[in-house]
Amino acid sequence: MSEVVQNLFWILVFPGFLFTVGLGLLASWIVRKVSALVQHRVGPPMLQPVYDVIKLLGKETLIPEAGQRATFMFSPLIGFSAVLLLSTMLWRISFVPASPFVGDIIVAIYLMVIPSLALILGSSASASPQASMGTAREMKLVVAYELPLVLAFLVVIIKTAGAVGDGRQLSLAAIAEHAPVLSISGMIAFLSALLCVQAKLGFVPFDIAEAETELASGVLIEYSGALLAMWTLMQGVMLVALPLFLVVAFLGGFGSGAWGILAGAGKYVLVLVLIILIKNTNPRVRIDQAMRFFWFWCGTAAVVAVALAILGNLFSIGWL
Amino acid sequence: MDKILLIPIFAPLVAGFLMFFVPNTMKPLHKLLALAGAVVSFLLAIRIFSSAGVLQYSCSIVQMGDFNLDLLLMTSPLRSFILLFAMGFGFLISIYTLKAGPSGDGSNIFYGSVLLTIGGSAGVLLSEHMLFLLIFWEIVTVSLYLLITTGGSSCSFAATKSFAMIGFSDAAFLLGIGLVWALSGTFVISETGVGTSSAAAIGAFLLLMTAAITKAGALPLHTWLPTSGEHAPASIMAILPASLDKLLGIYLLVVIVSEIFVLESRALSFILALIGSATIIIAVMIAMVQHNVKKLLSYHAISQVGYMILGIATLTPVGIAGGVFHMLNNAIYKCCLFLCGGAVEEATGTAELDELGGLGNKMPFTFVACLIAALSISGVPPFNGFVSKWMVYQGVIRMGSAGGTMSGANLWPVWLTVAMFGSALTLASFVKVIHSIFLSRNPSHKRDIKEVSGLMLVPMGVLAVLCVLFGVFYELPLNLFIYPALDIEAGTAIFGTWDSALATAFILAGLFLGGVVLFVGLVSRKSRTVSTWTCGEIMDNDEIIVSGTHFYKTISEMGGLKQLYKRQEQKWFDLYDQGGLLGLDLSRFLRWLHSGLLPMYLTWVVLGLLIILTVFCTIW
Repeated sequence: MSEVVQNLFWILVFPGFLFTVGLGLLASWIVRKVSALVQHRVGPPMLQPVYDVIKLLGKETLIPEAGQRATFMFSPLIGFSAVLLLSTMLWRISFVPASPFVGDIIVAIYLMVIPSLALILGSSASASPQASMGTAREMKLVVAYELPLVLAFLVVIIKTAGAVGDGRQLSLAAIAEHAPVLSISGMIAFLSALLCVQAKLGFVPFDIAEAETELASGVLIEYSGALLAMWTLMQGVMLVALPLFLVVAFLGGFGSGAWGILAGAGKYVLVLVLIILIKNTNPRVRIDQAMRFFWFWCGTAAVVAVALAILGNLFSIGWL
Repeated sequence: MDKILLIPIFAPLVAGFLMFFVPNTMKPLHKLLALAGAVVSFLLAIRIFSSAGVLQYSCSIVQMGDFNLDLLLMTSPLRSFILLFAMGFGFLISIYTLKAGPSGDGSNIFYGSVLLTIGGSAGVLLSEHMLFLLIFWEIVTVSLYLLITTGGSSCSFAATKSFAMIGFSDAAFLLGIGLVWALSGTFVISETGVGTSSAAAIGAFLLLMTAAITKAGALPLHTWLPTSGEHAPASIMAILPASLDKLLGIYLLVVIVSEIFVLESRALSFILALIGSATIIIAVMIAMVQHNVKKLLSYHAISQVGYMILGIATLTPVGIAGGVFHMLNNAIYKCCLFLCGGAVEEATGTAELDELGGLGNKMPFTFVACLIAALSISGVPPFNGFVSKWMVYQGVIRMGSAGGTMSGANLWPVWLTVAMFGSALTLASFVKVIHSIFLSRNPSHKRDIKEVSGLMLVPMGVLAVLCVLFGVFYELPLNLFIYPALDIEAGTAIFGTWDSALATAFILAGLFLGGVVLFVGLVSRKSRTVSTWTCGEIMDNDEIIVSGTHFYKTISEMGGLKQLYKRQEQKWFDLYDQGGLLGLDLSRFLRWLHSGLLPMYLTWVVLGLLIILTVFCTIW
């Protein structure tokens, strides 16, 4: 019984729903504030994302009549709960590394696809031509970045497998004890994965599926009111979960003790700021450019990283 | 002497054969007989599965010196578990075909062949004697041919192609059995155990492997599958290529790898891993750009075999268990997908993606079943496809960490990348299917579509529920079926972490929380149904339909890939077509030889005899 209560606490309060949503809204404030600073603006007050969600919840919800109603309304919830699960999982193994929880690194990679999938299904169900184009773009983007992401994941496995021992190669907690980024291959893999996360978040230069100026928000065009509020919350939670995944997989995670937690928080903020800087210094690319970029440039770099990592293992050169 | 083993084989076979002589006017009798045969086989399969210990039956038929042909039937955990599911699929399909049978004549052939398929499969799975296994294997091949021909005149090409390609692989099977017999002196599977060090043994392995993977539908002899998928009725695709052929092909592969041969040559595991990975990626790339839903599903039926072969090729417990579990999962969701495709075709009269749309509102049950199956095949957690793929990935990683002595092991990053990336591509093509058929917008000429009959929905529903069940509580099928079948101690194989039930509970909790937030919002201000927003213009929305068929043009138009896609369209990579061209050349050459001059013929005869004589003299 106590285990059930404990699990409920994990998912409801800390580090689940309340904590993650709060942190997510804070993160989206940081995104807006830093973007404003980059553009020499003042930026919104700290509670602005909260006001936005509350305001959206108070607005009328419009539902397209030709659409598939149930899919249209369920999709934001599915995406939200999947990314909430991912975030809970990552926090939990950061704080209690001793006991395995829910899933390993492969599970994390697969859970990261669900928000995009939910977005795709929801927009597809809205029966709008613009949304359909957004659907296609979002899916192509997933296909595009999945290749370098898998390769980057391989680098993590290769770099850490020898150190964590047989049987724990996939454990997130074991991987978090190592920082593959402190090697050439790990650095390349980290940068590739960072760009993939950028695309997963739908940030510039990869905001192709939303593309306000050409598709009028594309995938989200028919969403309004409470449903749009759910998407906003989901994007907030993604802002927590995805950089956290990078911290766990590449940057050595949180460690133990107060200093460890502080360092972990610092790593998270740094990754977030990196993402924001990329977002603010690039123009949007076309979908074919994005695909070519991820498959040929990013992919090649990641392949080189995998090769370097294997060579490093063969000749026991740690920094390779 | 357990005579119970005879019934699931011979009852359907005899009934199916007799059915060919029942006139076509008695269609209800055909359906009833087929259903009865399927039910009996399924019930007996349950009894065989639940009975403790090994059941066996033997009956000597021919005995000539070393050569003996015994009807030798025997159960093992592997066999009885696959038998259980094979008969289960037969049962579900026979329910489905009560409503969606052949439209024109040939109902006796159709239902008779369904019964032959069921009996033949049971025979393959229970035979301990390799020659009988081959005979039953042939019965399944022939009934596939007969089933495809019932689809009408457009199917005869597909039927012939399937029969030719599988028939070719069956010939390889026969040769392989002959070699195994020569090497081990026995036809009994459990007594073989041939080491793969000699050239003859490797040849035998490759021959048998060809038979197994062609039946399962892997590269390079896979092209019979999409051709028949395009023309044959969906229910046929669901029973044979999607489920039973997979079960039989992968069963044979497991038997070859673990019982008939003792794999010493690591090159063979490399070949298997290569075939598996190539199958995954090539087939899914082709599937993505298809416009016909049945053809698209057929290419996925090929692609998924790659995961099974790759899993088995790792030769690690978790990989083999994952491969066999994937075989089971794939049979479940792929069967469901074909049944959904069949239901859509039945309801709308077309399987072309760009003529469909918006059926999610018209056929809600089919939509849900198809969505669940599509998510399963794409490996989305917590459905069943994810678990088995995850196990295969672990197998590949374990193979890599086990050591560099195997030639396939060093390349584990390649296998893993291909497998994981292939899974994303699978998701992409199913997004296209779901979008084009069920979501998007309903074309005006497809307005009066109704959900199909309950008899068709029940099998889809059962399979969809199995997809969820085997995904959320995956230890259940693993402990009940897979581990005993492969003689793996439960809990030792998997080294990753995936608490599927807990994750599902969390997702449900998240859904609930999100639902509460949403409810607050919806209550505070009511929702309103409006027409789609078209940037303020007033226009006829109904005609603006963005179908999914153009979705991946970006990929098929990409430099480098474009040329490959074009060659594929032109059948450059189709061994059947290329073989046909070769055959034409050969016959042209032979025609040229047949000049009609007697001295010329005599010269050939003498030359040939001399060559044969030399060969004989050098060997013996």
